[in-house]
This record gives sequence, C-alpha cells and structure tokens, in this order.
Amino acid sequence: MTRARKLGLVMLAAGVCLGPLVALAQTQIYDAKTKKWVNYDKKKARQYFARNNQLPEAFRRQVVPFRTAEKPGTIIIDGNQHFLYLVQPGGQAIRYGIGVGREGFGWAGIVRVGRTAEWPTWTPPPEMVARDPNAAKWAAGMPGGPDNPLGARALYLYEGDQDTIYRIHGTVEPWTIGLDVSSGCIRMNNDDVTDLHSRVEVGAKVIVLMQGAALYKGV
Amino acid sequence: MGSRNLFVAAGVGLAILGGCQSAPPKPEEMARTSLQTAPADLQLICANAAAGTAKVDSTKVLPTSSRQLDAMSYSVDLDAGGQKFNCIVDNNGSVRSVQPVA
Repeated sequence: MTRARKLGLVMLAAGVCLGPLVALAQTQIYDAKTKKWVNYDKKKARQYFARNNQLPEAFRRQVVPFRTAEKPGTIIIDGNQHFLYLVQPGGQAIRYGIGVGREGFGWAGIVRVGRTAEWPTWTPPPEMVARDPNAAKWAAGMPGGPDNPLGARALYLYEGDQDTIYRIHGTVEPWTIGLDVSSGCIRMNNDDVTDLHSRVEVGAKVIVLMQGAALYKGV
Repeated sequence: MGSRNLFVAAGVGLAILGGCQSAPPKPEEMARTSLQTAPADLQLICANAAAGTAKVDSTKVLPTSSRQLDAMSYSVDLDAGGQKFNCIVDNNGSVRSVQPVA
C-alpha cells in the first residue's frame, strides 16, 4: 500500500470517528417561518447578525426560572447549550448567550472569579503565541480597546489562588455567541459582559458544565 | 352539501390538522444543540443529591455528562471527589434515584 493511500485511510477513519462527535455538538435554532430546527454555524450566525443586528432571541439576555441550591451571585455555565446563568433570588437566574471552546478546547470544573477588569489588556498564552501568528505579535500584551479580543470586560477565573488562564470576557465578534469557537474562554457580547461584570463580586463561585470536556479544573 | 356546510367542514378539517402540529417552542427556547443534555439546573440538583449520598462536599461534585431518557426525565453522570454516580431526575426537579457506578 502506498504512503498516500495509507494516509487517506487514516484520514477516512479519523473522519468516521470524529464525524458523529462534531455532529452531536451542532447548534440549532428554530426557524419560525419554516417551523423547523436548522443548523446554526459560523457562516449562518454571521448572516443572521448582519441581517438583524442582534442575536437569535434565545441567546439574548433574559430572566428565566432556575431551580438551584446555589446562592444568588453564583455563575453557572452550560457550555453544551451555550448559556451562562447568574443565579438570582426566588428561583430565577439571568441567562446570557455565550460562545465556548471549540472541539478539544472545552473544559469543565468549579472555579471562582479571582479578579475582574474593564477594557482589559489581552496577553495571549505562550501556547497560543506558538500556534497563531496573529497572537504572536501581541505576545507582550495588547492594550484594552474596541479591537481587543477580550472586549469590554473580563472576569478572570481562578482555581484557589491560581489563575486558570481561562476568562469570561467580551468579544469583537458578537455573532459567535451560540457557537463553539474559542480556545477555552467563555465569550459574551460586550453589553452582556458589562452587565454581568456590574452584578458579580470577586470570589463568586463559577460552575462550568461541559459534556465531553477535554480538561477539568477545581474538582 | 351547501357552500356554507362545505366552508364549515373545511374549517373543522383545518382545525384538526392544526391540532396535530406540534406547538413551536417559546422564544427563549428557540436554540439548542443536537447534544440533548439535561438543563443546567437539573444537573446541579443531581450534584447536590449525590453530594449527600457520597458524603462529599458539594464543591467537589461535578456533572460530567447527561442525556434525556424520555419526555419527563434525564440521566446525569457525576464525579463526586473521584467516586462515580448516576442520578435520575425528572422535569420537576425531583430526584428519583442516585446510584454509585462501579
């Protein structure tokens, strides 16, 4: 068997094995016109945002019923369904749409908000600098501002007193909310992360739920 | 049959057909992933129940996967400080069982 053919078979096997996993994580939105669930990928998300200048209704900030023993002020992230909940009194939560880590970058755990920042400086981690030339030019830090990928606010997630390198932050790509797109950070649109930042205290518990997580923190 | 009766019959037929269609989801429920995990609050209700069963601090119990069993209930897998548990919870938030997994 030639080397090229062997490589082709390996890639085919990988495609067969990975295909169902990728399909399982597909975001869908309900199309009220056709009354059908339709796949919602990066291209469709960008088109939707360009047409409507806002996200699909499910990913917009709203108060929802939420039964939990966790105290108000706790953040609960449902990475699979792309929602962040901020627990409120009276069996309710404020729900925000989020973007999460793409395949292989998802994580789960129980951490806390270690610190927060307004218009934060973005310093890409060494592993991102190594693999991404766009990140490499900001290895020493990109100042905060409207072009900064961390957006308007950042909540730095800590495991004990240790920075996990993961953050909840804003974005310059608001159409990516609802998708698996990041390197593990939780992204929100800038209005939402500003609202969350105004309500959250340093030290708040953060529970991250993510089926198929590549990594666990704090448990 | 007169035209009036025909009109009534057509109306009844349409009403029956309409009744057969599933209702659209509420606006806040118009997004999902094909990975049909349990709602986050139900997963955490299970985590709380497993903490009691395992006698482990609830800050060490994390749901690791979940799936819908039927229209009324979900199964949630949990890690409680290294011990594995399975929990069945219904849509109302009532925990039906918490069992250690060998």
